[in-house]
Amino acid sequence: MSIVNLRHLQPGARIGLSDGSTAEVVSNPLDGIWVFARYLSSPRDASRVGTEEMIFAQDIVEIR
Amino acid sequence: MSDHRDDVAHLLLQQEIQSFLYQEAELLDERRYEEWLALLDEDVRYWMPMRRNVKFGELEREFTREGRDVNWFDEGKETLTRRVQQILTGVHWAEEPLSRICHMVSNVQILDVKPSAAAPSEVTTKSRFLIYRNRVETETDILVGKREDVLHRVDGQWKIRRRKIVLDQNVLQVKNLTFFF
Amino acid sequence: MATGRRYRGGLVDLGTGLISREIFVNEEIYAEELDRVFTRAWLFVGHESQISKPGDYVVSCMGEESVILCRDREERVHVFLNSCRHRGMKVCRYDEGNTPVFTCPYHGWSYATDGKLVGVPYFREAYHGKLDRSQFGLVEVAQLATYKGSVWATWDPKAPGFLEYLGEFRRYLDLTLDGWDGRDGGTEVLGGVQKWLIPCNWKFPAENFSGDSYHNISHRSVDMVGIGPSGSGRRDTRERLIARRLQICFPERGHQTGLYVLPKDQPTPPAYQQSPVVSEYFRHCEEERRRRRGEWGRVTGSPGEVFPNTALHPRQPRTFAVWHPRGPHQTEVWRWYLVDSDSPPEVKDFLRQYYIRYSGPAGLTEQDDMENWNYAHAASRGTIARRYPYTYEQGMGFEVESYEWDGLRLPGSVLDITEAKSSEHNLRNLYRRWAEFMDAASWDELATWRTPAP
Repeated sequence: MSIVNLRHLQPGARIGLSDGSTAEVVSNPLDGIWVFARYLSSPRDASRVGTEEMIFAQDIVEIR
Repeated sequence: MSDHRDDVAHLLLQQEIQSFLYQEAELLDERRYEEWLALLDEDVRYWMPMRRNVKFGELEREFTREGRDVNWFDEGKETLTRRVQQILTGVHWAEEPLSRICHMVSNVQILDVKPSAAAPSEVTTKSRFLIYRNRVETETDILVGKREDVLHRVDGQWKIRRRKIVLDQNVLQVKNLTFFF
Repeated sequence: MATGRRYRGGLVDLGTGLISREIFVNEEIYAEELDRVFTRAWLFVGHESQISKPGDYVVSCMGEESVILCRDREERVHVFLNSCRHRGMKVCRYDEGNTPVFTCPYHGWSYATDGKLVGVPYFREAYHGKLDRSQFGLVEVAQLATYKGSVWATWDPKAPGFLEYLGEFRRYLDLTLDGWDGRDGGTEVLGGVQKWLIPCNWKFPAENFSGDSYHNISHRSVDMVGIGPSGSGRRDTRERLIARRLQICFPERGHQTGLYVLPKDQPTPPAYQQSPVVSEYFRHCEEERRRRRGEWGRVTGSPGEVFPNTALHPRQPRTFAVWHPRGPHQTEVWRWYLVDSDSPPEVKDFLRQYYIRYSGPAGLTEQDDMENWNYAHAASRGTIARRYPYTYEQGMGFEVESYEWDGLRLPGSVLDITEAKSSEHNLRNLYRRWAEFMDAASWDELATWRTPAP
């Protein structure tokens, strides 16, 4: 698995997170460390779905 | 056969342009400022932008703009002539006593030649500079960067029509710029 | 950080006009002034036109420290210490740009443009959700003021507001910030801030711009070759032939400036004669200014200083310069150049070219200043040299408190140097205030104007 360069993530990109969640990039500050994303699914915490959060680079395991 | 002639013409031109740049440096370092001024076209543009730290992907904003922004230098022959005249007053305290200056010019590349290397009338050339300034007792500055020059031939003599000076610094590490690049 | 020294009447003796060289070269005094002067005074940070849109930022300096001047999403202007609250890394190493967040590259803490800590890696896991993020926003200045486009800040919550800090000096600061035609504000900074290092204490340039009217001799070479906007000298100086030349300062505030007052019945002499367009622009503006400002329209400025380290010049070149301390022996200068926002492009371009051949490290005038400050400082560091104070006695006792000329009364303590040619009135004022800051325990002792004299 290759390390994701957050600078390449466009709004709308789907990312897989280390806890099994999937999120959609809403905006990218291009700092290479965070993206703003909305949860599409969250196996551990369903209440997160639809909420928006800053996602940390090391929590992003893949582009889906 | 014509290819070979082209190669030779390019080599000769490379040699000629290098020699010109070395001779120019010699005039500056030997403080023959008026002879140096004579190498500048009457319409010369002499531009040294300032450089910003900008984010990756925004490098188009790294340099201050010629003719628009504040730059280190953005001038023509008239102001350059004043600079020389000021040094030659003998009471320009920033250069009195005169600094000891050494221009190292290297990495000379010819980027463009018009109309041809065999009969060149205008050349765009890029080079690296390392300028060493030592003044009074122990004051020493080293400035390193690139120059991009447009030279053109007038009556068989190369003249500098345009010089862009790119200094590899952000905050200028010297107190003043009393010398030429 | 108090060294126990007394400055008023001691190292800064305004009774005799003698000031010790120690205040320029002594490392302990330097550390003390960073604390006593630079954390308490109002400092110039930048210009609003540098951050016109939400998310715009520029990195600036206050004293030795890097700060971020930015406009948040709600368009509010902030000044933050450029240092992560977790381990101190600079959160912004770009000079300017536009961003939603400042993210620290070390451990990844991220701050919104309103300073709030919005991103903490492994907040739930490593901090167990317990870190009180509201306590770890970017450190913000205690007070911020925007005044006619200029942005100022102080770290001291007890400092008086900026306008009170300026007092009546405000009218003189306006000469730099108002449109040349006398309209309020209406100036903008040209793109590109000049930043360079000078090997001298920051007070050398500060006193020079406070009103060193004595050092003209050092600029003789540029006067000879002529870079002025009318083709000779270094400035348009025809008003000198008809105007009163004054030094004006505010003893309780520490601000000072040079000034020309033109006679009532005479027009401003022509200027900028190298360019008909520019000359006509300023002729028109002078007329407008006199019409709008009345008697005050006869006043034009020369170099001045807002205490402690912001130099200003209303014209030729129109500029702010900040003398950032970099240790006792080094100063980093930041210089902004201003033009009337709605002046024609030819005027802006003419001024820009004139400004940079006059000022800054490549300026034919300022080059000589830097040589003088450099070696004045260097030759004052020695053990023997330090025993001999500088004299600032020029014109002592010749100031007047209610100066009036040709129907115009001017606020401030004024020394008329039209005939005297020079004085050190304004320099004494800078050091008077500096010594007060160094001696005072807090702003309670510094806002003396709040307590009427008995």
